[in-house]
Amino acid sequence: MIETATTWTNWVPLAIVLSSLLPGLFIFTLREDQVALRTTLNLIGAVLKLVLVGVMLWGVARGMEFRFALPFLPNGLLILKGDALSLQFVTLSAVLWLTTTLYAIGYLEGAPLRSRFFGYFSLCVSATAGLALAGNLVTFVLFYELLTLATFPLVVHRGTVEALRAGRIYLAYTLGGGTLALLGAVLLHTQGGSPAFVPGGYLPAAGEDSQLILTLAFGLLIAGFGVKAALFPLHGWLPTAMVAPAPVSALLHAVAVVKAGAFGIVRVVYDVYGVELMTAMDLAQPLLWLACFTILYGSVRALFQTDLKKRLAFSTVSQVSYVTLGVALLGPIGAVGGLVHLVHQGLMKVTLFYCAGNFAETLHIHKIREMDGVGKRMPLTMAAFTVGALGMIGVPPVAGFISKWYLGLGALEVGADWVLLVLVGSGLLNALYFLPILYRGWFAPPPARWAHDEKLGTGQPGLGETHWMLLWPALITASLALLVGILAGTDLSPLNWAQLTVNLEFDL
Amino acid sequence: MTAALIALLLPLFTALCLLLLRSRSGVLVIVTSLLTLLAAAWSLYDVTVNGPQWLELGDWPPPLAIRFQLQPITALLLVFSAMIHLLVAVYAAGSQHSKTRYTDFWPLSCLLQGSLNALWLSGDLFNWYVTLELLGLAAVALVALSGRKAYGPALNYLLLSLGASLVYLLGVALAYGRYGVLDISLLGAMTEADTTTRIAWWLMTLGLMLKAALWPFHLWLPRAHASAPTAVSALLSALVVKGPLFILWRLWSEGAPTELAVEAGPVLAVAGIAALILGGWSALRTPWLKSLVAYSTVAQLGYALMALGLLMYWQLPALDAALWLFVLAHGLAKASMFLAAGELQASLGSKRVSALRGTTETMPVAMFAFAVAGGSLIGLPPSGGFLAKWLLLEPMFETVNHWPWVVGILLGTLISAGYVFRVVALAFDRADPVPPDFSPDRFAHWLALLPALVVWGLALISEPLIHWLTGVPL
Repeated sequence: MIETATTWTNWVPLAIVLSSLLPGLFIFTLREDQVALRTTLNLIGAVLKLVLVGVMLWGVARGMEFRFALPFLPNGLLILKGDALSLQFVTLSAVLWLTTTLYAIGYLEGAPLRSRFFGYFSLCVSATAGLALAGNLVTFVLFYELLTLATFPLVVHRGTVEALRAGRIYLAYTLGGGTLALLGAVLLHTQGGSPAFVPGGYLPAAGEDSQLILTLAFGLLIAGFGVKAALFPLHGWLPTAMVAPAPVSALLHAVAVVKAGAFGIVRVVYDVYGVELMTAMDLAQPLLWLACFTILYGSVRALFQTDLKKRLAFSTVSQVSYVTLGVALLGPIGAVGGLVHLVHQGLMKVTLFYCAGNFAETLHIHKIREMDGVGKRMPLTMAAFTVGALGMIGVPPVAGFISKWYLGLGALEVGADWVLLVLVGSGLLNALYFLPILYRGWFAPPPARWAHDEKLGTGQPGLGETHWMLLWPALITASLALLVGILAGTDLSPLNWAQLTVNLEFDL
Repeated sequence: MTAALIALLLPLFTALCLLLLRSRSGVLVIVTSLLTLLAAAWSLYDVTVNGPQWLELGDWPPPLAIRFQLQPITALLLVFSAMIHLLVAVYAAGSQHSKTRYTDFWPLSCLLQGSLNALWLSGDLFNWYVTLELLGLAAVALVALSGRKAYGPALNYLLLSLGASLVYLLGVALAYGRYGVLDISLLGAMTEADTTTRIAWWLMTLGLMLKAALWPFHLWLPRAHASAPTAVSALLSALVVKGPLFILWRLWSEGAPTELAVEAGPVLAVAGIAALILGGWSALRTPWLKSLVAYSTVAQLGYALMALGLLMYWQLPALDAALWLFVLAHGLAKASMFLAAGELQASLGSKRVSALRGTTETMPVAMFAFAVAGGSLIGLPPSGGFLAKWLLLEPMFETVNHWPWVVGILLGTLISAGYVFRVVALAFDRADPVPPDFSPDRFAHWLALLPALVVWGLALISEPLIHWLTGVPL
């Protein structure tokens, strides 16, 4: 597999990974008080990555090939490649990295150990970009493990007893999952190497003898990726990891970690096994049940949480499984729903976490019962929160509605009508645990005086209700969540990209 | 071959000079190590281009002669031991906390390197006995450099080492009585699977397993390695235990009849899994930092033993690559880990693991070195440890009957992750950090990081390296 001609397009995928890796390594060496330099580096990296991703989007839409390959293992190259599917994920992470960097700078203002934090933060995004662009299973597993390593210091960043406990639980789950995924990858590698991901899958049709191998490898890979995708019963780390700082939670829940798991499942189903083989071997059925169960289970657990971030965490457990659900339906319409939810859930969930962080930082609100009347003190944050919450419930025209609509249609298309019940049930549960929050925020009487008002910004409702770096990211992502819903029918929308990807996968 | 001979004689000559001149000059040893490294690198180049070579001492024909043999893997090991030795010498001379600066460390470590190089180059049973004795004596003396509190473990090590040599020698005598030759490649053509051979081979194996601290004969290692000075611990864990392992490998893969090897393979492989699990378990439990690192050596040798056992059992020469990659990756990672651990405990003034609370803030580079080296021990991609694990896993998955062995690797990985992150997680504890009693030595910290980076850097040359090790022409 020797490159016929090296052009600049070969280097773009590598540049996307390096655009956060190099600034990150440099940031480690900075002193705490070099705030300006650190901020500049962070923002340059984030903007550069966005530009490079933009170039790639432009190129792929014109049929250009972006592929970078290095020799790594026998029959297993290290490949970074931009295809329709990877672009969906890498664009999401590039956009959200920019907003989250902004948010983190505001959030950690004056906090200790910021060089270390932003260093690992950048490494984490580099690993995510590598994961998104990974062109074969070996490369994917490699970045999957690196992501674990880069996020661990962020989870334990606060260094408290609870943070360390959460970090240990996080590691136990993710390293265990990583090992399983690795075993699955080796097992498939023995069946003819690790060629590049191909829409429609690269594995040959199963014979008598390979049936067992393929099934086992599928189980190992799904178990491995299911840990980060928080599939029941592998979701235990996610709610405990809530002790991390808010930007980290946003990163874990919306951009990097859970998405890495869900994306892995998408890759395995579509580009390794392929729809045909999946159908022939009937592998998707258990996955479908598991996804449905996780959706309901996460929602029910969320209902009983009194802590705002905990409730959001269980909501993530539920929402990420929509992606798995869409994939496991094995029909083109359901696939569109699942793939587009990868982006939609990211936008909505990141908004919710920014807002939760804003409440905590500005007014020290952590419990849901403390949210009475917060809409009067922080109307803009509450508005952004409302957009996110309504989107999660599936109220049009917010993005979440589009995902659910396609998932429902997709279920009908493949004759799995009962999935509709799951979707309706989950929608109801979502409403049950989000609407009371909205009610408290907007309509309950505020306390006479906010007990712990940090007076960030001007301290007045409106654009100065909190630090501008905390407020704007939330407003931006909330507007994006609205926009991708309203403009779902246009060429630029994630929906259109998802459609494009699915056309390739299903050979339409 | 000349270059390899230089790499063998240079350290021995230096050791002699230091002793005769009553000098304890670290600089001289560093220069020698550097020259040795160059000579070793030259021999590696030579053997890659010109193929394996032999040197018959005194020009006697093979059955009588003692001959030195330069194979690709020997040359690689020469380079590897020269690299580690150079690194440790620079550390011993440069670190503020090194307690070996003006001691007998210098001549002894040169003697150690010389005898190890002789071991790599030798190819007959008796020569190996001689080199093993030299190696063992030098190692024991080095452990005793720590002073009075190390005398117990050192004496223990000495007695065991002598006992093991005797057992080995008994096996050699039996083999010589039966076949009349000692050269391993000649033996390989003659051996038959009879009772005498079986007893001889098992006796030699027993002796070598004792010397290499392979489970269940590992009990002397943690005490000896943990009580030695830091530079010595690094040498012992990274290099010395690999010597007997090398002999064991050649004994079984070249010298033994196939039937016997197939029979013995599963025993060794199971011992390897037991080492992984039980050694790892002890590393998880011990309250002492250097003991943890030493127990991790016991556990990691389990991987190598498993690779050796399976390569005998399945008669798969391809597993050679896995075995030697494990040795290289472990050596580099362990040198890094011992130097980092030694620096950490010297600066903190405590030997306990619990004293590491908050070290990511107080000594970030040393802790980072520990974590990066640990990543390779766990086998996280794309480190050297990962490459080795991958090569070991591949043949296991190829046949359905081999699948159960995978469980051993799975457990080994998880338990290594357990003891590495036991330390790393503690280092992130900011609630109650332990302030260092002595000023940290940044130079030594970076030095400790170096081999850890090299072992991860193996990823960059992974494909040619694997091809080279499996003997596929480039």
